[in-house]
Amino acid sequence: MKLKLTLLVLLSVFLTHAQNDYLTYDNLTKKLKEIESKNSSVNLKSIGKSSGNKDIWLVTLSASKTPKPALLITAGIDGKHQAGTQIAVNLIEQLLQNKQLYSDKTIYIIPSVSPDAISSFFAKVKVEHSGNATPTDDDRDGKIGEDPFEDLNNDGWITQMRIESIDGTHIVSSEDSRLLVKANASKNQIGKYKLLSEGIDNDKDGKFNEDSSAGVNIDKNFTFDYPAFENGAGVYVASEPEVRALLDFLYTTPSIYGVVTFGLSNNLSEAPKFDSKLASTRIVKGWLENDIKAAEQVSKLYTEKAGIKDGPKTPMTKGNFAQTAYYHAGKFSFSTPGWWIPKEVVKKDSTETKVELPKKGEKEEVSPELQFLKWADKEQLKNVFVEWTAVKHPDFPNQKVEVGGIVPYAMLNPPVSYLEPVVAKHAVFIESLLAAMPKIETTPPLVEKVQNDLFRVTVTVANKGLLPTYASIGDKVRFTSRMKTELKLNKGQTMISGRKIALRDALQADESETHTWLVSGSGKITILTGCATAGVKELIVELK
Amino acid sequence: MKKYIISFISLVLFSATMAQNKEIAPEDLNGMRAIGSPANPKVRMSWDRYHDYAQITKFCNDLAKAYPNLVSVSSIGKSFEGRDIWALTITDTKTGKEKEKPAFYIDGGIHANELQGVEVSMYTAWYLAESFQTIPFINRLLKDKVFYILPTISPDSREHFIYKPNNSNTSRSGMRPFDNDGDGLVNEDLLDDLDGDGNIVMMRRKSKTGRWKIDPKYPSRMIMLRGDEMGDYEMLGYEGIDNDGDGLVNEDGEGTYDPNRDWAWNWQPDYVQRGALFYPGTLPETRAVKDFVVNHPNIAGAQSYHNYGGMFLRGPGAAEDEGLFSREDVAAYDVIGKLGERMIPGYNYFVLYKDLYTVYGGEIDFLCLTRGIFTFSNELMTSYKLFNQKAATGRWDNDEFNEFDKYLLFGDGYVEWKPFKHPQFGDIEIGGPKKNYIRNHPGFMLQEDAHRNMAFTLYHAYQTPKLEIVAIKTEKLSGDITAVTATIMNTRVIPTHSTFDVKNKIERPNAITLKGANVIAGMTVENEDLNLFTEQQFQPASIQVPTIRGMGNVKVRWLVKGNPNGATVEVNSAKGGVVTSKVSN
Repeated sequence: MKLKLTLLVLLSVFLTHAQNDYLTYDNLTKKLKEIESKNSSVNLKSIGKSSGNKDIWLVTLSASKTPKPALLITAGIDGKHQAGTQIAVNLIEQLLQNKQLYSDKTIYIIPSVSPDAISSFFAKVKVEHSGNATPTDDDRDGKIGEDPFEDLNNDGWITQMRIESIDGTHIVSSEDSRLLVKANASKNQIGKYKLLSEGIDNDKDGKFNEDSSAGVNIDKNFTFDYPAFENGAGVYVASEPEVRALLDFLYTTPSIYGVVTFGLSNNLSEAPKFDSKLASTRIVKGWLENDIKAAEQVSKLYTEKAGIKDGPKTPMTKGNFAQTAYYHAGKFSFSTPGWWIPKEVVKKDSTETKVELPKKGEKEEVSPELQFLKWADKEQLKNVFVEWTAVKHPDFPNQKVEVGGIVPYAMLNPPVSYLEPVVAKHAVFIESLLAAMPKIETTPPLVEKVQNDLFRVTVTVANKGLLPTYASIGDKVRFTSRMKTELKLNKGQTMISGRKIALRDALQADESETHTWLVSGSGKITILTGCATAGVKELIVELK
Repeated sequence: MKKYIISFISLVLFSATMAQNKEIAPEDLNGMRAIGSPANPKVRMSWDRYHDYAQITKFCNDLAKAYPNLVSVSSIGKSFEGRDIWALTITDTKTGKEKEKPAFYIDGGIHANELQGVEVSMYTAWYLAESFQTIPFINRLLKDKVFYILPTISPDSREHFIYKPNNSNTSRSGMRPFDNDGDGLVNEDLLDDLDGDGNIVMMRRKSKTGRWKIDPKYPSRMIMLRGDEMGDYEMLGYEGIDNDGDGLVNEDGEGTYDPNRDWAWNWQPDYVQRGALFYPGTLPETRAVKDFVVNHPNIAGAQSYHNYGGMFLRGPGAAEDEGLFSREDVAAYDVIGKLGERMIPGYNYFVLYKDLYTVYGGEIDFLCLTRGIFTFSNELMTSYKLFNQKAATGRWDNDEFNEFDKYLLFGDGYVEWKPFKHPQFGDIEIGGPKKNYIRNHPGFMLQEDAHRNMAFTLYHAYQTPKLEIVAIKTEKLSGDITAVTATIMNTRVIPTHSTFDVKNKIERPNAITLKGANVIAGMTVENEDLNLFTEQQFQPASIQVPTIRGMGNVKVRWLVKGNPNGATVEVNSAKGGVVTSKVSN
C-alpha cells in the first residue's frame, strides 16, 4: 500500500513535470535566444508587442541576408491551443538540421502570435482562455470582469458544476458516466442536472461567470468574415496589436509564398472544395479554381508524402488568421491542429454501427469529449479529468452541487511527449512543401540580328515547380508582388518593340510564356524575370 | 403685488443680462453687428480662404486661449509624417462635466483635397465660442452638449495638396508610400507639374484623328464629340510623363489609397473596395480617431465633412447592411436630413450606398454601426450654387463652371492652354481647371456654405438625446413602504441607443438609480394604467434601461422602506448624459 502511494506520488510528480515541459513565455524567449546564438542561419526579432506588452517573436531561418521565396509558419494564435506553439518551436530545431532547406528559401516562424495567452495556460488557477491581455467587457454591460470564475474545489482548474435541479437539462451519459449529455425527450430522457461553469454568481445577476474579462481571441479579430460583437472578437476588427503586427509583417514581406498555421482549423487533411459560386462573387468567399488545384497537391504532400493521416474535420472559424491570409493577403494558407486524438481508439463499436446505419444528415458523431476520455484512459493519462465531487455553493444553498469535468486545455494540449512524432512528420511536410514551390527557369535568350544594329531578343520563361508562382487570389488583391519580366537597356540602346516591364498573372505549375523585344543598339542588355514568391532570375546578353 | 414681483424678476433678469454683457463686444450690441455673425470676434479669421497646417494649429491654440472656459485643444495622436492631429473640446466647462454630457463629433478633410471640410469644422468651433455670450441658443447648447471638433484628420496630405502640384482630385489620401501597380517599385511614376505652376492640369495634342474640339464659347473648355463630327484634338490625360519608361504615365503616384476605406465596419480588401489597405486601421490617423471615439462613449452624433455634390449622407455604405437600420432609427435621420434640404438649397438627403455609391470600410459606417452613433457626412459644394439652379445636363456636357468662371471669377478658375514640348508626346498643350476650382468653393461662397452646413450640424447636435426627469411620484403603500415612480423623457429625436446598438449591446444600457433610499424592489413600468411591471431583481436600486427612444419616455418604480424624501434619482446614460433630481413628497 505504501509503495503504491509512493508510486502514485512519483507518477503525479512526473506527470506534472511533463505538463510543465510546455514553454512559459520566459522559457520560450530563452529557448529562441539559445537557438539563435547556436546557429548562424537563425535570426530572432520581435515583430511587435502584444496587448500585455510581450514581444511577438519571429524566427528567421535563412542561409543569407538576401530575401528569398519564403514560407511563414505561425502558431499560438488562439490562446487555448498551446500545443501549436510547442510544435512550432520543436519544428525550428528539426528544420535546422537540414541546411539545404533554407539555402534558397527563407523560413519564417512565429511560434506564439498571442504570447499573453501563455500566462493563462500557466496560471495558478487555469481557465481555458483564448484571449490576450486586453481588458474586455465580455457581457457588454459596461463593467469589466465583474463576474469571473472561482475554483470552488481548490484544485487549480476551472471545470464545471452540475446541480440537481428541476430546470436541469442534462443527464449522465450512457457511454461514459463521467460525462453529461443533453437530455433528449424523444429518447425518453428527462433532464436532471443543470450544467454551469465552475464559479459563483459574483454580482448576483442570475448569470454565472459571464464576465471574467477573458481578453480578445486574436484568432477572431482578423479581417476575413469578422464576427462583429461576438464574445472574444474585440471591440472592432483588427483592434488588437497582435493582429496588426502579424498583418503588417505579412503584407510588407512580399516574398512570403504561403502560410502554414498550427491552429484549430484543418484544411490540409482535406483540401478546400471548389465552389464556383463562392469563388466568383464580388467578395470572394471560396478558393479560386487554380488555387484549389495547388491545395490538392499540398494536401497530398501532407497525407501521403508526410503520411499524416486521419486529421479531424475542423472547419475554418470567423475572423481567423488562416482565412485572412488567403482571402485578404492573397497567400496560400494552410492550417492544421498538428496533433489530434488518434482515430483508432474512438471508432464506435463495430456491431453497433452495423445495426444502426445512420440516416443521411443525422450521423451520430462520437462527441470530442468522449473521444478524448477514451483515448486518455487508454494512454493512462492522469490529471485530465476531475471526478465529480460535492461542494457547498452559496448560490444553491439547499441543492446538491458537484464540481468536475475535463481539465482545461487538456483536450487540445497533450503531454509534450505526444508531440514529438507530430513534429517529425510535419518537418517532412514542410520539407516537401518547400521542394514543391515554384521554380523559374528560362531558355538562353535567343538573339537574332534583324539588321545592322537592330536585334530581336526572345526568351521563354517557365515555372518548373509543382506549384504556381503564387496563389491566384494574389492577382486579385493589391499588395502582392506580381509576375514581372523586365528588360534593362544600356546607354545608346532603344526599344523598338516590346514592353520594358511586363506584368502578368501567376505562372501555374509547368506553365511558360515567351517574351520578345526589338532593340536598336548593340551592347549588353539585362533581362529580369520572376516575382518575390518564386525568385527572380537575371540574364545578361550581349547584342552584337 | 404680483405686478411688483414680476417687475422685480425682470429687473434681476435684466441686470443678469447686463452683467453678461461685459463679455460682449460693443460692436455686437450696435448696428455694426450683421445678424448671426460676431462683429468683433476675439479670434480674427477670414472665412473666404483656405488654411494650412500651421494656421490651423495657431487657430486652435488662439481659440483655446481666448476662451479658456469653453475651448481646450489636445492632440489625439500623430499623422504618418508626425503632425499632431488636433481635437478641440468645446463646452461650457462651468456647467456639468464634459464626459457626462452628450457629445457631438465633427471632423474634416479626411480626403485632403476636399479643403473646405476643414474650414467648416474650424468655422463651427469659432462660431460656437464667439457666439456663446451673444446667442442664447448657442449658450444653452454648450451647457447641454460637448463638441469634439477635429479640423483635419489628414494633415499631411492637406499640406501636400496646398504646397505641391496637384489637381482637384489629388491627393485624396495620406502620404504613406505604397506600390500601386504591383511592380515592386514604390511611387516610381508621379504626376509631373510640367510648367511648374502648382496645378496639375490636362494635356491635349492637335490630332487629325482626335475626338475633341475647343468650345468656341469658352476656350477653357474641351468638348468631346459625338456622332460624325470631326475633331482636331486628342486628350492625353493629366499633366505628366512616363517617368519609368514602362509605357504608362503617372501610374504610380503618391498616396493612391483612401483613408476613408480604412475603418472597422464591413471592411473589404482593395480588389473589392478600391483604396483599402492591409486592414482597417493601417493608417495612424484613422487608428487615432478610432481610439478617440471608443474612449468617448458620450459621442451620440457625428459629422464627417467631405466634398463634392451637396449631400447629407447617412449609412449604410453597402446594400447588405440596409437591414441594420431600423425604421425607427431612420425616422430620426429623416427629421434631420429633410430639414437639411430646406436649410441648404441644392443639397440632398441621401443614403450612401443607394444614392451615391457603395463604400466598404468607410468612416460613417464605423461610427454608426460599430459604435452606434447617429452620423451624417456632408458632401460640401454643388454646382447648384453657381446660378442657384440645378444643371440641365450632366457634368461633362454642361458649361456652367466655364460660364461662372468667366463672369464671376474673371477667369481665375482655369489655367489657360499653352504649348509645351513633351519628352514623349512631342508638341502638346497644357491647360484646364486649377486644383482649387470645381470641387472647392470659390472664396466668396465659402463662408455662407460653412454657416449653412454648420447650422445643419448644430441642429443634428441639438437632436442628440436630452434626458429629463419629468416627474417623480411617491405613493404610500402598506406599512412603511413607499413606491417611487420616476418618468424620464428624451426630449430630442435621437434615441440613447439605436435599435442595432440595443441588439448587439454596443453601449451599456442606461441606468436609472435611486440613491439615498432603502430600495427593496425595483421595476420597469410597462404600463402604469394596466399595472404591468417587469421586476429587476438584480441590483433593484439601479434599473437598466436598454434605450430611451427619441421623444419617448420610460417609467421606473422602486419600492422603498421608510421615507424616500431627499433621495436622488439619477439617470446615467452613456450617450444621453447624466441628470439628477431629488425626491420630495
